[in-house]
Amino acid sequence: MTIELSRRGFCIGTALIGLQTISSGAFARSEDGTVKLGLVAPMSGPNARYGAFSLRGAEMAAKEINTAGGVGGRKISVMPADSQGTPVEGVSATRRLIDQSQVDYIIGDVSSSVTLAMQPVAEDAGVLLLNAASSNPMITYKAGVGGFKWTYRNYPTDENRALIVLQYAAEKKGFTKYAVLSVDTDYGRAAIEFTKKYLPRFKSQILTEDYYKEGEVDFRSVLSKIRDSGAQAIIMYGNADSTPIVGRQMIEVGIAGKIPLIGNAEFNTASSIKAAPKALEGAIEAAAWLPAYDSPKSKAFVEKFIAEYGEAPNNHAYVHWETVHLLAKAIEQAQSIDREKVRAALSAIHYESAVGEVTFDDHNQARLPMILLEIEHGKPAIKGAYSAEIDYPK
Amino acid sequence: MLYTVIEQVVNGIVSGSVYAIVAVGMTMIFGVLRAINFAHGEYYMLGTFGAWFAIDYFDLPYPVAIVIGVVATALIAVVVGNFVMQRIVGAPAEAGVLATLGVALILQNTVILVFGGSYKFFSGGYIEPVTLFGFTLAEQRILIIIVGLIVFVGLELMVTYSRIGKAMRAVSQNIECCAVVGIDVRHIALWTFILGAGLAGLSGVLTAPVNVSVYGGMGELITFKTLPIIIMGGLGNVRGTFVAAMILGIAESLVATYVGLQFRDTVGFATLMLVLMWRPHGLFSAQARF
Repeated sequence: MTIELSRRGFCIGTALIGLQTISSGAFARSEDGTVKLGLVAPMSGPNARYGAFSLRGAEMAAKEINTAGGVGGRKISVMPADSQGTPVEGVSATRRLIDQSQVDYIIGDVSSSVTLAMQPVAEDAGVLLLNAASSNPMITYKAGVGGFKWTYRNYPTDENRALIVLQYAAEKKGFTKYAVLSVDTDYGRAAIEFTKKYLPRFKSQILTEDYYKEGEVDFRSVLSKIRDSGAQAIIMYGNADSTPIVGRQMIEVGIAGKIPLIGNAEFNTASSIKAAPKALEGAIEAAAWLPAYDSPKSKAFVEKFIAEYGEAPNNHAYVHWETVHLLAKAIEQAQSIDREKVRAALSAIHYESAVGEVTFDDHNQARLPMILLEIEHGKPAIKGAYSAEIDYPK
Repeated sequence: MLYTVIEQVVNGIVSGSVYAIVAVGMTMIFGVLRAINFAHGEYYMLGTFGAWFAIDYFDLPYPVAIVIGVVATALIAVVVGNFVMQRIVGAPAEAGVLATLGVALILQNTVILVFGGSYKFFSGGYIEPVTLFGFTLAEQRILIIIVGLIVFVGLELMVTYSRIGKAMRAVSQNIECCAVVGIDVRHIALWTFILGAGLAGLSGVLTAPVNVSVYGGMGELITFKTLPIIIMGGLGNVRGTFVAAMILGIAESLVATYVGLQFRDTVGFATLMLVLMWRPHGLFSAQARF
């Protein structure tokens, strides 16, 4: 008897709590005039630094918009949720934002694997997921005409990067013969797969192909092979930690200054250049954004960020700042916070970002320029912003 | 074509020399203690960190940093030897495995705790390339080969003629008899361990200029490269270890050139499997120990 009673009590109690949550949620949405923007990012764990930069960038943009009167009179409020950089936590953070905080828009995550896991959750709820910092091409292969209509991405992909680097090397440098020396991970191998996809476009070929394990320290054998192969450049997508080692051993086997490194492995940082100045001379790297980029909007952002937080912004701070402004513009053009209308506005948007104009293709992927850097006289020189059109798999 | 092959053999000899200096310490420790020292790579790491610390914090020249690196490693080895390694003598095999794995974890994480987990940049050493017989090598690599040869000749002389060397050989052959004739087994075990760890530290300091990056986890790779070498060389066999290290170095270099860099790390374990199938006590008979 007692058991039955308590069970009934429990059921009623739960139902009451449930009702209360639903009603309070409904009230919150109708009464409160703010635009609720969820931000999923790694606030703890090994990538916490990226999450902190992302939040600062987003909050600074929201503050700017709100002081200027908001979007259509509404204030933007940024609601952060911690993904810890893992797909499991990222999905539950997304659910919390959708079910409890009742957000209309979500920006997130930094890690590609987390974003890939968030996509179906946002799609089911019909909440706009605007990614600002993940680079895996799969995210937008599966978006727009590819399936998930609520996923958008305002960030260049690894495929963009591979294509732009190859295009610059072929068109500006006249290279056609390459050697590959990339890290043996998903990132390093995928970047080479994308490079290979576009080789015919530039009538180029890969002569040798090698992948190194993380922590590898002996590149002499492979670098002598590259020296004798007749390659004009080494395509390298790797970790920052291997760059100084490769650079020094390039000097040893006598290819420093003759066969440049191209791709992405922190060729432009002072520590890499200092380790092997001769080997990194002429290295070519593509970046989504960097603080030294010379455009009035970019310079103003860097100055304001430093004034606000006392430290220079990184790439993640910039992309989140820019993406909040992009979303605000879409809401303004939709003249409504109706999700469908905002989505349509985003698809048709022409937004002037700090690196150039942003438009979205039919896979909801932003057509974005990347900034090309070339190391000249021991210093990274910005060679301008380049963009290239992606071939989607049919 | 021939030039490429010879150049790759030279590359192999250079990496073989590094493996040899690390592996010889591990094999001597095995000979005396009958335990595989899974923390061996950590002493390599400690040597590198010692030298990096001396250069980065005190701006000392590289030759001084070599001494500091080796001495620091030896001092830590004295502590570990007294508290851990001496107690392994005569203990069951699993005690040695657990104890050395534990030491490896403690050393590695202490370094990460003190200096942080990020990669450090090693700025000392002689990295200018020189041309010898048509091959360009960093001066540092020539230094590595020369020091490697000196170490091996020195060890041969030591175990053949010196009193402590003879005692080491004796302990590796029969612990009970040593005790009977009055050899202090624990004392010999301690000194062998300090010598082996010091050699690993020396190897770390010597390779740091060409490997550039210094980080807490760098020893693990070395331990696992060394393992197949000492088994191939016949556990406890100094000369065998030298030859096995050279074979592995040259084989890795040829595989990296003609098969692909990604297959390089498989060479050691593939050769190890073949050796264990056909010559289970190593390429060189265990009788030739020391």
